[in-house]
Formats: sequence, structure tokens, C-alpha cells
Amino acid sequence: MTARVGIPSSLLYYMHYPMWHTFLTELNLDVVPSGQTNKNFLDQGVKEALADACVPVKLFFGHTLTLRDKVDYLFIPRVVCLNQKTIYCPKFLGLPDMIRYGLPDMPPIIDIQMDVREGRMALFRAYNQIGSSFGAGSLQIARAYLKALYSAARYNALMQKGWHPPEAIKAVLNPNSKDIAPTARKGDLNFAVLGYPYVVHDDYISVGLIGKLKKLGVNVITLENLPPATLARQNCDLDKIMFWTYSDLVLRASHYLFKSGQVDGIIHLTAFGCGPDSMVDKLMELTAKEYSNIPYMSLTIDEHSGDAGVSTRLEAFTDMVKRKKEV
Amino acid sequence: MPRVTFPHMGESYRTFKMLMNDLGNEVVLPPRPSKRTLDHGVRHAPEFACFPFKILMGTYVETCLLGAEIIVTSGGVGPCRAGQYGQLHKKILLDLGYPVDIIVFEPPRLHPIDFLRNIQRLNPNRMSYRAVWDCIKRAWQKLIALDETEKITHVVRPREIVTGSTTRIYRKVLEWIDRSHSAKEIEEAHSSAVEAIKSVEQDPERKVLKVGLVGEIYVLLEPASNLEIEETLGNLGVEVERSMFLTGWTRENTFSETHETISVKDAAMPYIPLCIGGHGMESVGHTVVYAKRGFDGVIQLAPFTCIPEIVARTILTSVSKEHGIPVLTFFLDEQTGKAGMSTRLEAFVDLMKRKKWQDELPEHNAVKKGQ
Amino acid sequence: MKAYLGIDVGSVSTNIVVQDEAGKIHAGIYLRTMGRPIDALLTGMREVGACIPPDLEIAGAGATGSGRYLAGVMIDADVIKNEITAHAVAASMLVPDVQTVLEIGGQDSKIIIMRNGIVTDFAMNTVCAAGTGSFLDQQASRLNIPITDFGELAHSSGAPVRIAGRCTVFAESDMIHKQQMGHRLPDIINGLCEALVRNYLNNVGKGKEILSPVVFQGGVAANKGIKAAFERCLNLTVIVPEYHNIMGAIGVAQLAKEEVQKTGCTKFKGFHITGLSYRTGSFECGGCPNACEIAEIYEGDRVIGRWGARCQRWDIIN
Repeated sequence: MTARVGIPSSLLYYMHYPMWHTFLTELNLDVVPSGQTNKNFLDQGVKEALADACVPVKLFFGHTLTLRDKVDYLFIPRVVCLNQKTIYCPKFLGLPDMIRYGLPDMPPIIDIQMDVREGRMALFRAYNQIGSSFGAGSLQIARAYLKALYSAARYNALMQKGWHPPEAIKAVLNPNSKDIAPTARKGDLNFAVLGYPYVVHDDYISVGLIGKLKKLGVNVITLENLPPATLARQNCDLDKIMFWTYSDLVLRASHYLFKSGQVDGIIHLTAFGCGPDSMVDKLMELTAKEYSNIPYMSLTIDEHSGDAGVSTRLEAFTDMVKRKKEV
Repeated sequence: MPRVTFPHMGESYRTFKMLMNDLGNEVVLPPRPSKRTLDHGVRHAPEFACFPFKILMGTYVETCLLGAEIIVTSGGVGPCRAGQYGQLHKKILLDLGYPVDIIVFEPPRLHPIDFLRNIQRLNPNRMSYRAVWDCIKRAWQKLIALDETEKITHVVRPREIVTGSTTRIYRKVLEWIDRSHSAKEIEEAHSSAVEAIKSVEQDPERKVLKVGLVGEIYVLLEPASNLEIEETLGNLGVEVERSMFLTGWTRENTFSETHETISVKDAAMPYIPLCIGGHGMESVGHTVVYAKRGFDGVIQLAPFTCIPEIVARTILTSVSKEHGIPVLTFFLDEQTGKAGMSTRLEAFVDLMKRKKWQDELPEHNAVKKGQ
Repeated sequence: MKAYLGIDVGSVSTNIVVQDEAGKIHAGIYLRTMGRPIDALLTGMREVGACIPPDLEIAGAGATGSGRYLAGVMIDADVIKNEITAHAVAASMLVPDVQTVLEIGGQDSKIIIMRNGIVTDFAMNTVCAAGTGSFLDQQASRLNIPITDFGELAHSSGAPVRIAGRCTVFAESDMIHKQQMGHRLPDIINGLCEALVRNYLNNVGKGKEILSPVVFQGGVAANKGIKAAFERCLNLTVIVPEYHNIMGAIGVAQLAKEEVQKTGCTKFKGFHITGLSYRTGSFECGGCPNACEIAEIYEGDRVIGRWGARCQRWDIIN
């Protein structure tokens, strides 16, 4: 029987699932994602995680718990740094430890450290270690790694074309399925929804924000749709860059969009109790003041977020942008 | 003369005041964080910024109103948020219309040139590097004197016979240290301060509990932010050992790592194998070390929404189980009330007492059970 | 003469206005919703239907407030708008160059920043009710003083007492403490007004550029103590409109007028709906683990509206 490896569909899932899935599948492992968030996951997570943790961490606990009895291993790598410059938020660094010591009776956790600052081949070495721990030969690992890289490249290319991660993940992993169309651009308004992928693209926790905007006739672009090279060059008027990868990206994206003026409105989606966001949001608010021609709204969501509250704000924001455009 | 100010962190301001004065700056003394400080801070800081950010924000606004032109603070290289505070504070203050500059001191090992440049900016009279070094050395000496004196109060307070006498003497000796200036004066003030506190009337027979304090540096070091937890514990008959002192921290971050830190890191290794920013790893490591040294309990102090401490807290649950040491956590913010905190502290002390002395009082327990 | 109907179904009150082309208010009704929005709406419609002059023709209708979808399907409104847009429109009708709208209702509060007649920024209260009317309601019942007397009492205060605490429970314990210290009642009440204003400005008003003219509306605007506290705190004159508690309905009536000018005719069912029977029901969907609670409204036997689903499964297709 092939070993089953569980990957919680939360946090890093939205950026790295295609790569991880391909790599592990190529090693003849059975990859089990926890699937789309639902109420159950959240309830479980809220019950088990520390009350003061942020919502995404609670959700991650919930996702992990649903995998507990279904898999032989849990894949929670310790992703520290992938771009030589910024590192992941402290909660990512301590993630495997929090799961191991915070939840009872967990299956073995694969918590390989991924830190490209450790040397040129550090990433491959990390994957090699994962492969060897499953007893795979070096040739098989190398082939799996290359295929995984290819998956990641295809995934990123799709997102550059305007796809959103949930659709792009499906497309990359079932190349034969034709039923998923790329995000159509039909609306008359263009909004950017900035925020961490695991908040923006988790339909449950974002209270269906992207779908709601589409219904209001708004095209949505997100962080993943912006060209990474341009973002990397973007000047954020700061003495010191943000330490955390996603925060840094969000901030760069906001500066890029405010300065290039290619969208009609910017919404910052942030999770209640997110530490880095308290700073990112303030910095974005101060930038928005300088570029007042593009309306900006910050939206905080938490485990109790009501549908009504979010809808009202989105409708009001869309009205505001429309009325402004008409004048 | 530039008007310089800096964050208020416990009694350390006495040192910085002397240092800045010696370098030829006019000092705007930061007021002790109060209700008003918090009002300013809460008003201008982001809602979910951590508690230290809000206190510092409030302090800066208060000192700006008093005419401060330059704020000196410390930085950091992450991944804790505190490393970003300087620039965000600056942006908010400029947005509010206060024309201030913030000088952020980064760890000199990583940014040696910036470090020297920053020093020069605070040296309007262009004193020689040697003279500056002398000033820093004396400041360091004073900082040690302050820290050492404080440590002794933690030992003496739970054993004092007249409640409050230690605190009263401590206030007095702080003034002695404050007034000392030359190396010799500081040394004299230091030794007489220690003498004075040690001479507080004590009950050597009294059984005291030993509790370790771990957590985030600012809320550990600024009594106004942790609602004077050390004093409260001392009055409850608990000897406190704080895991962090400004002298210890600065040394770790500026000079070579001390022996004790390494062992704390080793102790944390099985639980958190890498630095997660802030003092999360230290909180875990110190807790293990305190447990091994036979302490009766550990109290973790953390600002609300502090991620490293949240990670640490999640792990501390198993540390507490495995090492059999009770751990109490306070997530502090502007809503924390002293009454609620005292209640929880008293209950925690009772819990530790029962755990420690239940074996020594078998008859008493039997009677209780019999009732 | 043509007139427009505006309905605002909020959590605390249900308001209905009839406003003619010239902007004159012919009927303005303020009712407590008391948890029964359908009953409140039908009662209100009956009253409005009875009191408007017979030559007045309803040429358009709009709904706003948290119950806007319910009201919208019941009367077949021409426009269903969120309360922020409605309040902004109403305020700019009254004070054309308004730059800031402060709105405090029973359970929610908002701030709307406008420049040149356009909303440029807004915020609503998020996690807590400390900057809303219920904060005052709680403390009024605690002090055993009718909330309507609050304004007058606060007015007679010499110096407000500082009441600390963001959340109502903490504020209450602080207030009791101040009472026990022997502070005068008017000073305490004035202190409560200041606490509410402070909480409001620190929560919804945080980071917003509040410029004159400032319009203050919503149910709490009736309280002179709060108005005075705002003026002290902001150092600006604050305008309280005559119909401050039904501004949402006025705004949506105006929006209905604009909408009908575009579409040409109204969908409004007419006042006869007060004779129809409406009932609501709810059930838990078993389609997925989300277990959404679906609420429905029936007109007679026909389902006219459904809410609460996270997916499209229960959408009504006309």
C-alpha cells in the first residue's frame, strides 16, 4: 500500500501545493489535501488552537485535525526563506512545532526546513531529504523535483494570465479537465484585492469576497496576478523592507498599484489578530492618503465575520467608486 | 543643542538621560507610561499593533508635545515586528505633523557603519571617539548598577517584614544612582544601594515560592506595562527571577553570546529548533531551565497579538506537562485590568503553594479532606 | 404630484419616508423594529398609506438598512442600497458641501468622509458596540434614568468625569466606582457622552480626516450631550439635521428617484401589500458541512426571497 501524505489546504497551500503535490505523487505517494474550508474545520480549529492566535492559524489547526485519521504522514515543511531576502512570518517558522505540541496523537510530521540562504542547492537538498526519508532513489528524486519545478512554473504562468490560485491549482493538476475557464474579465470596474493568499482565496474565511465582487460587476486582481519581477523592483519609500515575505509582497503590490493607477479601487483584506498586518495596513493607509485618486478600503475578517457586514461594506465601496467614476 | 528623547523602559531612562546629556544633547525625559500615554497611543497606532508599539507611540507623542526633535530607539532584524517600529512610528508622527527624526540603532555587528554614523549624529560637540566610548562605558556601568539593584529587590521583597519597605528603600536608592556621574560615584552608589536594600528587615524563616518571568522584552522591562507584576508577586511572598534584563539583552545583541544564553537555546532546541523572532524561543528555553532549576512556576508575559509568544505559548503547554511546572500566561494590552490580574496571580500562587507544600502538611490535608 | 418612498429597516428601528420631487417630506415614520421587521414594515406602510394626501403618486421606492433585501422583495423596490450610500446621499441633500458624516445608531455606527459630494472613505464599527447607542442605553438603565433625559442632564454638567474603558462592562464598573467616589450625576453622564465620542473616534473614526461641515445623524444625534461632546472633541461645529433619525430612508428615497429617472417606470407594488400575508421560515441546508441556515420569506404560498446560503444552491431564479 502506498503511504498517504496529508497536506493541509491552508496557509502555504495556496502558493506551493502544485509543486508539493507533483513532487510527492512522483515518489509514488498518495497525496491527500484536506480540501476546501468549511464550518467544521473552523469550529475544530477554534476549539483546539490558542484563543489569541490569528484566524489563519486556527484554520490550519482545523485542517490538520481533519487529516489526522486519514493519513500516515503530515507534510508541514518549515518554510523559512525562499527568495534570499525576506523570511516567512514567525507563525510559519513555528508551525510544525505548534502542531506537534499543540495537538494530540498526530501522525509523523515531515518538517524539513526550506531556507535558500543556506546555500545554492538548499532547496533541492531539502526535497532530496524528503525523498530519501521515503526511501526513494536519487534518480527518482531528481526526476520528481524537476517535474515539481515544472508544475510550479506552469502554476505561476497561469496566475500571471489572471487566474486565481484555486482555479489554477485545479488546472495544473488535471491538465485534461476543460471545464474550468480562466477568470473572465467582463465587469466595468477593476479592483485589486490585496492580502495573504490564504485569506483572500479561502472562500469560507473571506466570506466569498471575490465572488461577491464579481456579482457586483467588478474584475478582481490579486497579489498572484502581478508580475513578480516588477514587484521586486518596486520602491516602497521605506528605510527598511518588511521582514516577512507575504507582507513585503502585499506592500510592494500596493505601492505598485497606487503609483501605476491601473485599478479603480484597492481593498486590503486582513485577518483579525494578524501581527504583521497591523503595520502593513497602517503603511498602506498612509500611502493611500498620498494617492487619494484611488479609493482604498481595509476589511478585517475574523471567525465570526458576518456575511451581512462584509456585503454592506463591499456594496458601499463599489458604489463609492462608481459614483466617483461617473463624475 | 538638539532635544533628544528615547523610549521609557523601566528605570533605564536614568542611564540614557546621563548618556545623552554627556554627549551634549538636551534630554526631553519620557514620562512614565500612564493612562494619557495609552490614550495617545491607542488613538494613533493601528488597532492590532502590539502593546509596546502603542505605549511607545503614546510616549513619542507626549515627548513631541514637550518639544523633542530626535527620538533614539533600537531596531532589530526581525522577524519580530519590533524591528519595523522605528520607521512606522516616524511615518505616523510626520503624518500627525510633528517634525521629528528617529534614529534607529541596529545591531552594530551587522551594520557597523550605520552604528557609528548614528553615534555621530548624537554627538553635536564632535567629541572624540575615545570620549564617546568613555561616556558609553559609564552608561553601561550605570545600567548594570540599576539592573543589579533591581535583582536584589526581587529577592528581598518577598521576605520583608514590613510590607512595602523594600519598594520604599528602592525608590530612594534609585535617586542615589541617578545622581552619581563619574565611574567612582556610580560604583559607590551601586554598593550603597545594594547595602541599603539588603538591610531591609527580613524574615529569614519565611517560605517563599520561586517564580520565573519569561516573555517579550518590553512588557517584561516596563513595570507600567505589566501592571507592576514583580511588585505584586513580591508582596504575595514570591521571589521573582526575570529572564531578561537590559544589560543581558544588549550584551547578547552587541557582544558575544553569554554562556547562559547558549544553554537556554539548547534547552529550547527540542521544542523550537530555530529563532522565530522576538523572544519566543527564549521563553521556551528559559521555562525549561527554570523547571530544571526547581522553580515553582513560570509566568509568561506577552503583548496581545505577539506572534512569537503565541507560538511559544502553544508549545509551553507541553513543556509545562513534561517538566511538571505550572505556567501562567498574560496577554497584555490596554484593556488589561489590574484587578483581574491580581485575582489570577493570587490563584496561581495558591496553586503553587498547594503543590509545593502539600507533602509537608499531611495532617492538615487529611483534616481538610475529612471535613 | 410624484413622490418617492424610502424604507430603512434597521436592527433597532424601521423608518419610512415619502418625499416629493421638490424634496419636501410628506410622511416620516419612525418605528421600533423589535425583532419583527415584517410586522414593523407592514404597520409603517399602513400608517404611511393612510396619512399621505390622495393626489400623491408613488413614482419610485427604495430600501436600505440591514433588512433591505427583505423590505426590497416585499415591496418590489426599484433600488436596494446599502445604508452607507443612503446616509451619504441624504446628508449631501441637506448640506451640499458636507465633508464628514457621523452616524450613530442603536447597534452600529459609521463615519463617511465626503469630498465634492462624493464618498471618498468610510468605516463601520467592527468588533464592538462601545461607540454606539447601545452603550448609552446600557448605562442609562444602570443609572435608572430615561435615555431621553441624558442630553439635558449632560448639558447641566460643569466638568465631565473621565469614564475609562472601551467595553460597556468595563465602563460600567468604572462608572460605579466614580459614583461611589461621590461625583455628581450630570458630570458622570457627561463623562459617558465623552467616553462614547472617544470610543467612536478611536474605532470608526481612526485615521479619518474629519473636516467641516460635519453632519451628525442617526438616533443618537438627538442627544445634545453627545453633540456637545463631539464639538468639544473635534473643535468644529456639528450640524444635526431635523430628520436626523430617518436620514437613511430619505437618502434611499432620493436614490429611488434617480433610479426611476433612468428606468422610466417603477416596480413598486403599492400600498395594498399591507393586506397580503407574509411569513418567514428557515431551515438548515444539508448540502455540505457548512450547514448554512437558510431563511425564506413567503408572500402567500410563494417564496419571494431566500438568504443565508454561502453558495448558489438556493438562489431564486425568476
